[in-house]
Amino acid sequence: MVLEAVKYMFLGMGIVFLFLYLMVVILDWQHKLLLKYFPESFQEESQAPTTSKRERLKKVAAITAALHHMKNS
Amino acid sequence: MKRRILQFLLALAVVMIPIGAIATVSQMEKGESQKVEREGSYESKHFGDMIVNFWKQTGIYAILNPKEGVKNARGDEVTPFQQSVGRIIMIAITFILFYLAIAKGFEPLLLIPIGFGGLLANIPLANIIGDGGFIGELFKAGIENELFPILIFMGVGAMTDFGPLLANPKTALLGAAAQFGIFGTLVGAVALSQLGIFDFSLQDAAAISIIGGADGPTTVFIASKLAPDLLGAMAVAAYSYMALVPVIQPPIMKALTTPEERKIRMTTKRKVSQLEKMLFPLTVLMLTILILPESSPLIGALTFGNFVRESRVVERLSKTLQNELINIVTIFLGLSVGSKLAAEYFLVPETLGILLLGLVAFSVGTAAGVIMGKIMNRLSKEPINPLIGAAGVSAVPMAARVANRVGMDEDPTNVLLMHAMGPNVAGVIGSAVAAGVYLSIF
Repeated sequence: MVLEAVKYMFLGMGIVFLFLYLMVVILDWQHKLLLKYFPESFQEESQAPTTSKRERLKKVAAITAALHHMKNS
Repeated sequence: MKRRILQFLLALAVVMIPIGAIATVSQMEKGESQKVEREGSYESKHFGDMIVNFWKQTGIYAILNPKEGVKNARGDEVTPFQQSVGRIIMIAITFILFYLAIAKGFEPLLLIPIGFGGLLANIPLANIIGDGGFIGELFKAGIENELFPILIFMGVGAMTDFGPLLANPKTALLGAAAQFGIFGTLVGAVALSQLGIFDFSLQDAAAISIIGGADGPTTVFIASKLAPDLLGAMAVAAYSYMALVPVIQPPIMKALTTPEERKIRMTTKRKVSQLEKMLFPLTVLMLTILILPESSPLIGALTFGNFVRESRVVERLSKTLQNELINIVTIFLGLSVGSKLAAEYFLVPETLGILLLGLVAFSVGTAAGVIMGKIMNRLSKEPINPLIGAAGVSAVPMAARVANRVGMDEDPTNVLLMHAMGPNVAGVIGSAVAAGVYLSIF
């Protein structure tokens, strides 16, 4: 039965690695495709953080409030 | 017009009143005959007997006078020990769970419902966990058919940002390595059973080893499919160890790495576009369809939740998945899992084995992740801090925070959090894949 379990171990780890490795390959490939055909989608993202000063202050306030909440609870 | 309506109503009344009267009379006759019967069967009881009967219905009596061969509401045998001392031990354990949740802050969202479910399950004579009892019905509604874990997975998908993984996809391999905790423990559990130390079948061993995936819903899902009897102990083990991640992981991480390795700074990652984030759940689901359809319930729910989040056009659904739905299901899941904390299910020799093997699975997973991190650091061009490998066990986001903290202990300016989130979320997918492997085998 131990031998059986060892077989399952190799099978299981093999499938988990295969799955995630394929995922890595496909994601890399997808990234390159997107960079080539939809470069504008990446620019949008880089523009997003440059928000107005007011909004940034709002964010700071929210983060501070959250931290306080975490500390108090 | 008005007159016509009045006439109609009058006619209706003329017809209906006699019918009503006849029905009432027949009803009264019936009632009288029933009354007579009842009076016939009722024997006057002595007041003393009444008191004695009531005394026999109290919890004190049930705990002090356990009987041989008693069955619980679900038809399972309850030994005298489990009826008496066992109940008291279990109630004490639920109080310890409350203490851990409230005073120590260990996964309170789950330990409070689970603990209270356990408390209710140990009330003698109450039949809360059986057919018709409210926790029993909840159990049938969502655990027996594995519905609740799937719903939780939708919420998890909606709450998870896969951006860190997309920014550095390679780190997903760390999440794969950490699943060795699952499969390594399977071999260990089977070997220990072979040696006669525990008595687990191959299916039981598989179910227990999934605790190494450090993922609550996956554990409940697999347990209710492969080993429903062990569900309570497994869920308690999984959630307690997830809460104990900051205690269990750091010693292992420190033992396996040198201070230099812990100081490694990781380079900044590539940019991730919204389009990429939106395509991610679809890509993962396509891969699942092609390679492992068995794990598509779990991964399907996860990717659905994530797609709702990243599509950015159904903010309302996304918010519901992240808050209302997952909260409601957590309450139901916690209470029904708690019902397995009844003495007759929990106070069995297997529980000790499960707690022990669960801890081993967790530690092996952490170690495997860190070792994989070291290997990848050697092989890849960009430096990889092995500490983030420990985050490959799921336990989002606790494991990533722990990796970050251990790194900061060595070099306070080295922030690993976002790098560790990559393997962390990959671990969720990894353990769902591992669960799918088990489902396809058994």
